[in-house]
Amino acid sequence: MQTVIKTEGLSKTYTNTAVPVHALKDVNLEFKEGEFTAIVGPSGSGKTTFLNVIGGLDKPTKGKVVIDDIDIATMKESKLFDFRMRHIGFVFQAYNLIPVLTAVENVSFIMLLQKRPKKEMEQRAKEMLEQVGLSDKLNTRPAQLSGGQQQRVAVARALASRPDFVLADEPTANLDTESAFNLLDIMARLNKEENITLIFSTHDQRVIDRARRVITLVDGAVDKDEHFERN
Amino acid sequence: MRILLTLAWRNLWRNKRRTLITVSSVLFAYVLATALLSFAKGFQQQMTETLIRQETGYLQIQDALYFDEPSLDHTLAYEEEVKEALAALDDEISYVVPRISGFSLAAKEMSTRPAMVTGILPEQENKIRNLSGNMVSGEMFGADDDYAVIASGLADMLELGIGDTLILIGQGYQALTATGMFKVGGIIEFQLPEQNNTAVFLPLKKAQWYFAADNRLTNLIIMPADTDRIDYLAGALRNRLDDEWYTAKTWRELMPDMVGLMEMQDTVYTGITWIFYVIVGFGIFGTILTMLYERMQEFGILLSIGMKRFQLGLIAFIETILICLLGIAGGILAALPIVYFFQIFPVEFTGEMADYILRFGMEPVFPFLIDKQIFFNQAYTVFGITLLIGLYTMRKIYAVNILEAAQN
Ligand SMILES: Nc1ncnc2c1ncn2[C@@H]1O[C@H](COP(=O)(O)OP(=O)(O)O)[C@@H](O)[C@H]1O
Ligand SMILES: [Mg+2]
Repeated sequence: MQTVIKTEGLSKTYTNTAVPVHALKDVNLEFKEGEFTAIVGPSGSGKTTFLNVIGGLDKPTKGKVVIDDIDIATMKESKLFDFRMRHIGFVFQAYNLIPVLTAVENVSFIMLLQKRPKKEMEQRAKEMLEQVGLSDKLNTRPAQLSGGQQQRVAVARALASRPDFVLADEPTANLDTESAFNLLDIMARLNKEENITLIFSTHDQRVIDRARRVITLVDGAVDKDEHFERN
Repeated sequence: MRILLTLAWRNLWRNKRRTLITVSSVLFAYVLATALLSFAKGFQQQMTETLIRQETGYLQIQDALYFDEPSLDHTLAYEEEVKEALAALDDEISYVVPRISGFSLAAKEMSTRPAMVTGILPEQENKIRNLSGNMVSGEMFGADDDYAVIASGLADMLELGIGDTLILIGQGYQALTATGMFKVGGIIEFQLPEQNNTAVFLPLKKAQWYFAADNRLTNLIIMPADTDRIDYLAGALRNRLDDEWYTAKTWRELMPDMVGLMEMQDTVYTGITWIFYVIVGFGIFGTILTMLYERMQEFGILLSIGMKRFQLGLIAFIETILICLLGIAGGILAALPIVYFFQIFPVEFTGEMADYILRFGMEPVFPFLIDKQIFFNQAYTVFGITLLIGLYTMRKIYAVNILEAAQN
């Protein structure tokens, strides 16, 4: 299977603090097409930093992030906007959606930025909302959706544009147990059906067992990298 | 691009009340500024017109040297050349008012006073400044009469009444001595003391005889058919007349002090409108800043998922401009009826203020001036200010730290 992301000697040290913080220490990981990976570890272990760095939102202090044979660690900011839009889907902890757009408009948004044909875009947005179980909320604005529903719209948006991979930083952190399970189930199913590489971080034991690969970070270093057979 | 417009428009109504307040503040500033300027310009126009009619007229033909050295030696010959030029521009000219004037001494027995002697054609003169309407006793002369009409102040000082004889002594054309004796046939009153204490009017022909300046004029006043075309008319006259002998001057050239005063007034009024605008500008600025800070997290997320800074900046920019355009549109709609109202029902002064204004020969009634330039200028100004604020918001968005914004 094809490698989607490869990190080499990835390190990140924050020096804006009283004592330098080594948020990532020599992380060497490879993510293959279609993988569904959880990054776990206690708070402060470097999960967010790792996702930011491989998502091109933050620069490593040392090391490479190779995507599509390109090291994005050396890419200029102006290039990264386009790169993120074309290759990476994002789901954040909260406030993912544009409040003034309806669910279907939110899901179409990235495709709109990519200037996809209108017909294709609309069809795909509806299909994705259906996939996340919100076909009855197409024209609802985020404020009228529950937290769980909002996160499902965010997942639909991240996947709709068919990126190379999707990064989700603690997507269930603000959700109740049922919604959290529901969201992870949807993510797992879409990962399979759409064959999109999915990496999410969590320190929530409840949802870890949905992932087929679990990487444990401790103090910024990879402690464990386990694969599980699940259906 | 469409999506950016849609987003900007919808964002505007996220906080309806705040947007409406900001739009209203633009609207009020616009209305205030427009109303103020429409009044000021109406007042100024009336004042200018009164002065023009009483003093110089809109346009004059003079001897080429008269303006720099106003003396009877620099009178113009009212001959074929001038008449042909006037005839050729007949369409542009409503009527002409010829005058010859110069200082003399006015005397009765032992007392003498300086006098401004002016020869006029009463019929023509009345068209521009209704002299006959200001007679307090006696009658205005006709063109072929031979008596004088003098101002009441001068009449009092010299103790001259109707039927008395006025003696004039002065210098005429080419340094000839001018002397004359005229019966006083009428007394006229002026509001301005200087004029009321010196004015002596003679029929044009008599005055030319007195000054020994047959067929000569100091000023040939031209009333244009369209007062907006005086510059064109002045140019056309200059082209047709030999510039060694003649010149045509507009009231702006003849009363430079007056023009200076008007410019000063304009500066003051513009200054006042700018005070409104600065206040409103800070209002918009405050709203936009609050809006920016409230939405930082949203901005961070939008920039993370691939929206470009330029696109996001454009949204905020369009929002600012929309607020301004709504304010201006509302302002125009609100200001138009107000300005129209005060044009039809003008501001009217009463009491002492009215007397004071009347003294300058003005009606104490000031209609607003409707001038689309005023409306445009206010709109440009507001738009300019908003443009600056819009550019500032763009700059702010270029400075957003994506990670911090998205994760706070
Ligand atoms: N912007 C920053 N400046 C300084 N230190 C930071 C910053 N972001 C994260 N850190 C530090 O880096 C370490 C890893 O943080 P983070 O990646 O957020 O961990 P996690 O997401 O696993 O909780 C923590 O010790 C945190 O305090
Ligand atoms: Mg984190």
